[in-house]
Amino acid sequence: MEAGLLVQMLLGALLGLSVYLPLRCGQLSLATPGFFAIGGTVAALLSTRVPALAGSGSTYPIASVLLEMVLAALLTGVLALVLGRMVLRLRGIYLAIATIALVEILRVVTLNLEFTGGAVGIFGIPQPFQSAEGYGAFTLVLLALVCWMCDRLEKTRPGRAMAAIRDDELAAASQGINTADTKLLAFVLSALVAGITGVVAAHFLNSWNAKLGNFDASITTLAFVVLGGSRTWLGPVFGGLLLTALPELLRPVGDLRLIVFGAVILVGPLIFPQGLITLERLQALWRRRPPWLALPSNRGRR
Amino acid sequence: MTLLTVRDLGVRFGGLQALRGVDLAVQEGEIFGLLGPNGAGKTTLFNVISGLTPANTGSVHWQERAIAGLSSHRIARLGIARTFQNLRLFHSLSCLENVLVGMHQHARQPPLAALLQRPSFQRREDQLQQQALELLALFGLEAAAQQRAASLSYGDRRRLEMARALASQPQLLLLDEPAAGMNPAEKEELRALIKRLTQQFQLTVLIIEHHVPLMLGLCDRLAVLNFGQRIALGTPEQVRRDPAVIEAYLGGNP
Amino acid sequence: MDHLLQLLLNGLAVGAVYALFALGYTLVFSVLGVINFAHGALFTLGAYFTYLLIGGAVGANGLIAGLQLPFALPFWLALLLAGVGAAAVALVVERIAFRPLRARGSDPLLALITSLGAGVILVNLIQLLVGAESYSIPVGTLGSLPVALSIAGAKVRTVQLLLLAIAGVLLLALTIWIDGSRSGKALQAVSEDPVTAQLLGINSGRMIQIAFGISGFLAGMAGGLVGLSVSIAGPYFGIGYGLKGLGVLVLGGLGSVPGAVLGGLIIGLAEACVPADFSGYKDAVAFGFLFLVLLIRPQGLLGRPLAEKV
Repeated sequence: MEAGLLVQMLLGALLGLSVYLPLRCGQLSLATPGFFAIGGTVAALLSTRVPALAGSGSTYPIASVLLEMVLAALLTGVLALVLGRMVLRLRGIYLAIATIALVEILRVVTLNLEFTGGAVGIFGIPQPFQSAEGYGAFTLVLLALVCWMCDRLEKTRPGRAMAAIRDDELAAASQGINTADTKLLAFVLSALVAGITGVVAAHFLNSWNAKLGNFDASITTLAFVVLGGSRTWLGPVFGGLLLTALPELLRPVGDLRLIVFGAVILVGPLIFPQGLITLERLQALWRRRPPWLALPSNRGRR
Repeated sequence: MTLLTVRDLGVRFGGLQALRGVDLAVQEGEIFGLLGPNGAGKTTLFNVISGLTPANTGSVHWQERAIAGLSSHRIARLGIARTFQNLRLFHSLSCLENVLVGMHQHARQPPLAALLQRPSFQRREDQLQQQALELLALFGLEAAAQQRAASLSYGDRRRLEMARALASQPQLLLLDEPAAGMNPAEKEELRALIKRLTQQFQLTVLIIEHHVPLMLGLCDRLAVLNFGQRIALGTPEQVRRDPAVIEAYLGGNP
Repeated sequence: MDHLLQLLLNGLAVGAVYALFALGYTLVFSVLGVINFAHGALFTLGAYFTYLLIGGAVGANGLIAGLQLPFALPFWLALLLAGVGAAAVALVVERIAFRPLRARGSDPLLALITSLGAGVILVNLIQLLVGAESYSIPVGTLGSLPVALSIAGAKVRTVQLLLLAIAGVLLLALTIWIDGSRSGKALQAVSEDPVTAQLLGINSGRMIQIAFGISGFLAGMAGGLVGLSVSIAGPYFGIGYGLKGLGVLVLGGLGSVPGAVLGGLIIGLAEACVPADFSGYKDAVAFGFLFLVLLIRPQGLLGRPLAEKV
């Protein structure tokens, strides 16, 4: 497989996790591409307009990329904090539509502003890595970190509170859970993941424009989670990897590939309403593991 | 000591006056029953106390503090837990997780320790699990700890909801028709269980139930609601003889 | 002031199309509680059908390059048939993307994805067949009608008056049908409470099909009308309308028919009032409205308040 495709798949997995976080809390937010676009724009602007970041070597310093990530995280985090307070009072489809509106407003504004390059976008974003393999390793580390965070979240108090809100928000509040803050936490984490992913994507793609955060992206990323499954973080990772690779893998069928892609997201939820990865399937898989796969010492579990 | 005071409470839903001028005072340590026909406003009173429904008039005091208008999670944190008439469990979570969610306010741990899985974090987490399992055992649900709540029988769901409510270590427990759908033997078991729990956990209980014999045998005091108004208040003996109650609710068949 | 009248008519004409579009959303939403993301594709389909039926020739890039029907229908008939064609496709979409989920009682959220899948298939099928270029419906299509009229000193395009009139007739017919007919009442009953409606002997499966059929018909007609008044800007041009339709839908109130009309007219007029210097921001108007409405009055202008039973 081509290394470039692998990077795209890893970025897809990260975006899947970004959609997954609010959804695990029962909140259908489609704002991920908006925060992704903000992250990308921050990286594109900083790396092309701030000479101090470029360093002295031939490649763009990784430290500068990390700094861009921090700034993008700050910006998306604060924005998510403010917007989340407003929109998270809405439920179900209303929240989904409100976040679609946010993404569209942002897209139109980016398209019309002078300093974001308008419809053309920003070109010549400097490269911190010479090869796609470098990007692959960097993105893989990032994905591993985010997966680890999600895993810890699921197994601890805030994660349990999120699952409780998904099942019954009112009953969750009656258990002393501050539902507004918990939902906000999921929303902000989702924005941070999307923003940081945008930074990596901007460098990888070499150019950035408003189109990257549009409605199509909202639904495609939602499809990652719906097809992969929204009960554990493995679901969106798997869905993101698979669905990002699919159009590329389908290249041999030529013009039909987008039609096949449409068919997959049409038929997928019909066959796997819970998504491909469910806790039950994971447990069944674990029970049928080959004998050489020894049980790691399961600290703290009876 | 008076734990909960309700004064002149009124709630209106559009043209319907669900509660009108209701006064109540629940003393610490007692089992206080709410009787009344369907639609008398009992559950509405619970919803006001637990912060789910706003009151139009009157006040609710917890000890000395006015709590009307607080959000439901803050009220829960004061030490008021409840169950729901139509059962609101977390269906996709296991019984153990349901109880762990009930412990939410006591389970806070430093985020960094949780993230890094420090031994101190794991010890506390194990301790919480142990407590949750003990609570489940109290309700005979220890074998079902890993089962999803959705897969339980109806009676077990009622018991799980009580276990979840107790997990928050409340001072006041609001039980909304805990015996609904239970057979006579189970009802008797439930009566004994509630009695035992109040002693073991130093609980005060406010309970809604339709089954009059159960209520007369269980409660220290009773209030009777009809059409949103309190029509009687007193010991089971007093209430049983109250002419207004006999006419409105017991229908002359005490 | 001729300028004002022109502005008003422009806004109303665009708003009427939005209203037609949003009505389709609202009909499906009222019976199923979900949004049909294939709606934009049905709109696009209606535009292409209209173009073909009036005798337009396919360009050089698709699989059916150069195809031209051996007959040319008058515009009104082509539009009507395009509506019927889109309705037929809407029924197919219901059959494959909605009914299987309903039959299994799956999470309604999944219908967002499956309907989007159906939309992706339709749009790319169009692209495969007729290519990605834009088409415009020739000026002569309207026969002897003049291109523009002079009303009270203002110059108004005939197309826009026509658009306004057709949309008005459709909206009126729909309102009369919903309030006056047996099946219209049954539709209301299903949207109120599908289970009870079923118990009362209403075939809710049938009503859902009717809702999809009408919704597709309206989308197809709206597509044809926009194709005539502006142009068909490639297979993807329905998507933008689809998104704005969401804004209209929420502004008026999800599931409310008069709300969809009111919302459409308000957004159409508001867009017409955007000064030329800021025309780039025109597309954000609907979403700005949408966002504000959701924060201030989530049930929309004419929707019913949202309440949860404890």
